Amino acid sequence: MSENLAETPPPAALVNSVVKNLCALAARAWSKRWIITFTAPTGVGKTTAVDYAERTLGFDHQVIRCKQITTRYTLLQALALAPGEKWNTHGRNWMRAADLYDRAVERIRQRPYLLIIDESDRLRLDCFEILRDFWDEAKLPMLLVGNEILTEKLNRQHERLFRRIRVRFEQRPLREADLRKVLEVMSYTIADDEFAFLWKLVGGSPGFAEALLENANEIAASQGAKRGIEALEGALRFFPTLRAAA
Amino acid sequence: MRDMVLRALRIRPELATMLLRRGLFTPEERAEFLESFPKGSKVFSAPTLGPVQFATLLAQGDTHLAARAVLRNAVRPNELQWLYRLLRFQKPSEKRDELTRVVERALEGRKGNVRKSS
Repeated sequence: MSENLAETPPPAALVNSVVKNLCALAARAWSKRWIITFTAPTGVGKTTAVDYAERTLGFDHQVIRCKQITTRYTLLQALALAPGEKWNTHGRNWMRAADLYDRAVERIRQRPYLLIIDESDRLRLDCFEILRDFWDEAKLPMLLVGNEILTEKLNRQHERLFRRIRVRFEQRPLREADLRKVLEVMSYTIADDEFAFLWKLVGGSPGFAEALLENANEIAASQGAKRGIEALEGALRFFPTLRAAA
Repeated sequence: MRDMVLRALRIRPELATMLLRRGLFTPEERAEFLESFPKGSKVFSAPTLGPVQFATLLAQGDTHLAARAVLRNAVRPNELQWLYRLLRFQKPSEKRDELTRVVERALEGRKGNVRKSS
């Protein structure tokens, strides 16, 4: 009984199509030991979905959030060392990296897990090569999450890894009703005309909508007024790319 | 005219004013910047920007100025978070990636030289 309770995911704030698809793909990658890519435009909610998956997946998994400063070494450290563990071996970097690599492979062989990499489109060439090595040596299942650039980058620069990917999933932006629901969960009260304006500009991207709404809120607050269409139009000044679409 | 002053003159006046107020420029740059406006100009009475507006303008504006603002602690932590988010919305480019790297290092509490990606 207690085991069943432990496996039941905690209630989420909102499980939209992005979250559902990402969790389903994670489960498939894990059960089949596959490499899967999940791509979606920026601002759709990939990172939020990864956060949800991290909290709720009922099997061993590790999430790595890529940054611009992520290197092969930081990637190896994340996979080889336990949280908070220090690596004290001295020597040249490549030797230390090789030691870390062996240790990471050993960890995966002893206790396999699903590796989820958020913003994997930002990984560098040598990091992709390391991932391929992990797959070849330890059959490490992976879910690579990123924007459209990920597929293009893998296709163009990492053919060896690209050939090993079993599923390439492209998430569509949210539908109108879904976006409205997401914004409501994010505690935004939006009038119909404001929502129509937002939808026209940002489509199904809650991230962009949030940025626009926060700017509009600040404009309205500086004028001592309530947010309205005028404030949203004022906020548009700050987004030249959206302004072109308006 | 100094490069930084030229850059400051090209960005939106409210952002330039904010950066000036936060002490981003050296005394010489500041003097040169102020000289380029006629006396009684309204540019210095521009309203204070909120954190999201400030971060949005930084993200859209000049990368050099934004990087300098981050490296010289002229951007507060909540503004840094927004700047980081907004940079991710932008089209990838080498300049944007460099600024993102600077912001990430600042968010981690590190400063100084930034290693370029291979």
